Amino acid sequence: MIICRNIKKSYSHGGRRKQVFDGVNLTVSRGERIALLGRNGAGKSTLIKLIGGVEMPTSGKITRTMSVSWPLGFAGGFQGSLTGYDNARFIARIYERDYADIRAFVEDFSELGSQLKMPVKTYSSGMRARLAFALSLAIEFECYLIDEIILVGDQNFQQKCRVEMFEKREDRAMIIASHDMGFMRNFCNSAVILHGGTLRKYDDVNLAVDNYSHL
Amino acid sequence: MAKGSLHQLRNSWAVQVRVIHALMVRELITRFGRENIGFLWIMAEPLMFAGLVGLLWHFTHGTTEHGVSVIAFVATGYIPLTLFRHCVARSVAAFTVNQSLLYHRQIKVVDFIMARFIIELVGGMMAYLFIALFLIIIGEFPIPSDIGLLIAGWMLYGLFCFSLCLILAPLSEVSETMEKFIPITTYIMIPFSGAFNMVSWLTPAARNFLLFSPFVNATEMMRKGIWGDKITAYYDPWNPIVCSAIFVSIGLILCRRVRRILTVE
Repeated sequence: MIICRNIKKSYSHGGRRKQVFDGVNLTVSRGERIALLGRNGAGKSTLIKLIGGVEMPTSGKITRTMSVSWPLGFAGGFQGSLTGYDNARFIARIYERDYADIRAFVEDFSELGSQLKMPVKTYSSGMRARLAFALSLAIEFECYLIDEIILVGDQNFQQKCRVEMFEKREDRAMIIASHDMGFMRNFCNSAVILHGGTLRKYDDVNLAVDNYSHL
Repeated sequence: MAKGSLHQLRNSWAVQVRVIHALMVRELITRFGRENIGFLWIMAEPLMFAGLVGLLWHFTHGTTEHGVSVIAFVATGYIPLTLFRHCVARSVAAFTVNQSLLYHRQIKVVDFIMARFIIELVGGMMAYLFIALFLIIIGEFPIPSDIGLLIAGWMLYGLFCFSLCLILAPLSEVSETMEKFIPITTYIMIPFSGAFNMVSWLTPAARNFLLFSPFVNATEMMRKGIWGDKITAYYDPWNPIVCSAIFVSIGLILCRRVRRILTVE
């Protein structure tokens, strides 16, 4: 379970303040796949970062009783100047996994070949997505946080994700931010709409998507 | 309950040790690469500084000063000073440049400071050992008379540098003006670092004033450990210990505060 209790988050810069969340509550249970819906700037990425522990809420408490992945997105998680292999070794070290296993899985899943010997900053966003998914799948989390990135992959990668993530690991919880409504309807079993600093949860994804499109 | 929390503490300790190890390896690869002498470069700069400045002084000030070899004296002062300067430089914006790693929850901001500090400390101590061995061989450096005191002085010097990093790193994230003052501050610090003189060479008033500086106390300890009865040293080991303890407490609080408001891209 992940429990977010009365989360408030605001950013201040140069005397200005932006309130992103004003007392938000959310509970994520095992096996729940939550579609995160919201306009640009509604706070989808911020919510994912708060749940992932990348940023801290201004007030409120987040309790995690299952292992949560780092947010899989366009930025973060990797050191751009290091190669794919070096990043894999670093992640194997900090998550206390055997590097040989991780390496084998990453080579197989990401299909990046000799690109893994190049610095990550030379990767395209699709290649980053492959590496991020490969590593997080190799480590095995009980909850995956996915920020937009799933749709940048090509057909072959999306097919792999479907099998590895949504079929083999359908017992895992997921929080997915995306603007692809067809994908959300197919894969998620609940939904959340972020709007104006508040959060509303729906058990019916289709209803949520319909309400969202009328916002 | 007590047993449970002790177990938890031990687990967390193991995690932090692993993280710091991984961060150090990563830092060494990004900074020095795998080519030629690789991470041995960390001792190149302090070595060159100490060696060349020592030689310069050797020719401008004469071979000995107050009865000790000038080259050895400069080396023992300059290498700790480079440690201090590198630590300061490395802690500025340490959180921002490493922010992509904050995506992994087990990595704490203090780990960044710790990893960088350990690398600088090891580099400085290696350079110190290297130059001392070289100077001993050519007869410019005595066999240390009290190696324990020398190491204790090093440890206190390092501890105080570390406590400074803990304060500078979070402050540099919240105030950009602070960054501008760092070069001049580290320069002005030189007379208060004890690097180029013993306090016994000074007037009693100046001596009492300089002995407020933890750096001076630690440097006096190192030099006493090397030259023993040949020199007069004034020091109080409690000065660096107490100063570091206060700075570490302030620094840890600042790190915690700043981490809460840190915006990660």
